[in-house]
Amino acid sequence: MNVDLQQPIGGEFEAPHDHEHHLGPMQRLDSPMRRFRDDDEIDYLVVGVGSAGGVLLQRLARGGFKVVGLEAGPFWDTERDWVSDEKGSHKLYWEDMRITGGTDPLTFGANNSGKGVGGGSVHWAAFTPRFHPSDFEVYTRDGLGADWPISYWDLKPYYELLELEMPVAGPAQFPWGDPHGYAYGAHPMGGVGDTLIDGCTRLGIRVSAGGPVAILSGSRNDRPHCIYRGFCIQGCKVGAKASTLITHVPDAIRNGAEVRSLSMASRIELGKNNRVSGVHYFNREGRARFQKAKAVIVSGYAIETPRLLLNSACAEYPNGLANSSDTVGRYLMAQAGTVVLGRFDQLIRMYKAPPAHALTEEFYETDPKRDFARGFAIQTVGPLPIAFAKQMMAARGAWGWGMRRVMMDYNHWSAWGVLGEILPWPENRVTLSVERDEFGIRIPHISFNLHDNDKKLIDWAQKKTEEIMRAAGATEVLHEARYAHLVGAARMGSDPATSVCDKFGRTHDIANLFICDGSVLPTQGSANPGLTIQALAARTADYLISQGATIFNSDKRDMTPPPIRRHLSPPGTHWKGVPRLA
Amino acid sequence: MPRRQRHWAGRPPYLERPHFQFSSATLNGARPVNPERLPIDLRTGAPMRSRSQPGYYPGYCTLSQQKFWDAATRETIRKRVEETPPIRFFTPGEARLMEILCEHMMPQNDRDAAHKIPVLPFIDERLFHKKTPGYRFEDMPPDWDAYRLGLQAIEQMSRANHGRGFLELSWREQDELLKLIHDGKPMPGAEEIWKRMPPHRYWGLVIQDCVEMYYSHPFAWDEIGFGGPAYPRAYIRLEGGEPEPWEVDEKRYEWKAPPSCVSDPVEPEIATHKFHPPHGQGGTH
Repeated sequence: MNVDLQQPIGGEFEAPHDHEHHLGPMQRLDSPMRRFRDDDEIDYLVVGVGSAGGVLLQRLARGGFKVVGLEAGPFWDTERDWVSDEKGSHKLYWEDMRITGGTDPLTFGANNSGKGVGGGSVHWAAFTPRFHPSDFEVYTRDGLGADWPISYWDLKPYYELLELEMPVAGPAQFPWGDPHGYAYGAHPMGGVGDTLIDGCTRLGIRVSAGGPVAILSGSRNDRPHCIYRGFCIQGCKVGAKASTLITHVPDAIRNGAEVRSLSMASRIELGKNNRVSGVHYFNREGRARFQKAKAVIVSGYAIETPRLLLNSACAEYPNGLANSSDTVGRYLMAQAGTVVLGRFDQLIRMYKAPPAHALTEEFYETDPKRDFARGFAIQTVGPLPIAFAKQMMAARGAWGWGMRRVMMDYNHWSAWGVLGEILPWPENRVTLSVERDEFGIRIPHISFNLHDNDKKLIDWAQKKTEEIMRAAGATEVLHEARYAHLVGAARMGSDPATSVCDKFGRTHDIANLFICDGSVLPTQGSANPGLTIQALAARTADYLISQGATIFNSDKRDMTPPPIRRHLSPPGTHWKGVPRLA
Repeated sequence: MPRRQRHWAGRPPYLERPHFQFSSATLNGARPVNPERLPIDLRTGAPMRSRSQPGYYPGYCTLSQQKFWDAATRETIRKRVEETPPIRFFTPGEARLMEILCEHMMPQNDRDAAHKIPVLPFIDERLFHKKTPGYRFEDMPPDWDAYRLGLQAIEQMSRANHGRGFLELSWREQDELLKLIHDGKPMPGAEEIWKRMPPHRYWGLVIQDCVEMYYSHPFAWDEIGFGGPAYPRAYIRLEGGEPEPWEVDEKRYEWKAPPSCVSDPVEPEIATHKFHPPHGQGGTH
């Protein structure tokens, strides 16, 4: 057969059709969305439809509740709104102004904050390792950081559920933490993954190839498999990478949830009897509105959640809603994300294949032979040209002709990221700036400082990663110091004096106000937080479903763990149409 | 059958005409480039002539693959190539200085007039629309103020140390003045401004905007051998640095930077950035 490679098979690709809302090339938003009025008293109002909010809405709608999700950003049509382009993808990131400071200031936007339905899960690289059992008891083991009010074993059933709902592709045997396997096959390797496998193998370090990532290695239902185009963090037009926009939100809408996009929450209203009565927000026309609700769940992630609580200060809670402990905004964490770059004589072409592709967790746990607590992972990253140029500016001071020269060698470089655990510290925090945004809402100020343990860990992790890069054959090795992810700043705990919410996300101060997102994490391990955030959301949803009547009508706190509702998974994801685990 | 079939369509007609409204070429007139400002071909020792496509991938053209891209991506890239935004944020005087600054940051004398990549107009567009990357360092003024302050500082330092404005300096003097900002040790003359704006943060702001504008252009993708958009077609040769059927193999040549510049070879690692990044980060994890 003679195939003309100058023409797309089947002709040029058509622009999207009118009156269809695309969620990837095959999936459509297939049911009309229920609309509530502001004065309808709904059951649960979720603020933020991202990783956690998407899962919550889906579960609560299937559980039969009246639910609305307020989302500050747009409801994406992936075919119209997203592009295979770095510069054209800024709209996916939360780029509203934030002021950043401290001795080691974090940066925001593209690195860690999403906007629009799906939130950060739209632009994450989709590495989905579980946390290790040790992550839940850092204080007990190491005398630093904090313990969680739950154990790994409480969360494990939800890890298993979400790994099928996304689903996660990865090796049949993942050896670290609580060893487990993945139902969907690992991805074929690309150039960057090959260098990590090479370097690790030469030094006798175990490495996981082709996952775990929440990217389809084979097509499932109305979602095609990965095409290895490399634009994961620009939003997956292919629909292969999981985001709650395509995994949970369609099912939520099908079951009666409303997603109210372009709606920016400004203040949670405290009503009578120490209970919240709803949320003030600005709608898509910029008008101030108020949505009544029997209970409110804040899912705005580690900056916007504390910002909203602090901006909701009132006579009863002058330091911020649910902040009698002075913990809201504190214990903010980012992971050390030092990128180690190696130049190889041979071509790598690191723009191909997903950036999230192979990893090792061999250095994850505390090792008494090292002079610091906790550890780190090493993961592939695949910076596209603009991101790589910025790394060369940071790692090498490249500019002018030097920048032109090193960029001409783009295809010779491989890049890995350290993912290192930075411990929770009270002075790493979100507060309110005196400046205001376009709605008149005070913008956040973030202060971040590394401590002794953090610095030792980062230094050691960088050197070890460089050693592996050299073992892989790199002739020149550089690094760029940076951070990845954001968690903490409204942490859960058993003691109301030192935490904001309990193990189900209910704030200690107010019985019908919950928090459910990355901000509740007491510590962060060296695993990407996305899977854990969604697993926690499914667990919180089970609690909200079990306790609905109690939550709506009383201040009683029943701490009995809820039954695990496996039948609430989106259709076709659980035990059906997927390979079975042994 | 040959091991690799290579097909690339001819360039679209709009590439055959110069269409940038505000390029270095128009600013400097049609004067030939001073050979001092051209890179040197190390095989011959002679200055390299300006060309349509520098880099190690001759004949490679991402734009020739547009029909394999989805409609939204195609439109985004088409606009970028065909519609250079007008200058609205900078005053004409500031724009002249900025244009020279951008040429030092991302020199393009090895590109012919029809293939220069507009950098300044896209920076101007960002500042005009007050687009931010989503944060501001607490020791920095807003980006739009920082750009103006930086130009004032450059002009003040030039006058204090050379007795002339920045635009009257030789190319090398300009490069050297900028290099000292890059090093975090700016020349005396603008201390008041640097108190309000740390030099390394100003540098990071400008260089990251310059690289974003330059490396978002398909001409730059051709230069560095980046595959560009690949939806819905896909990449299929993932390993071993193999090119796709429409990509080409690398063909290196040795060159050194023009004698009038001090930006190459690049510096080793900057020790002050040990733990915190000096710039904004595109996500990688």
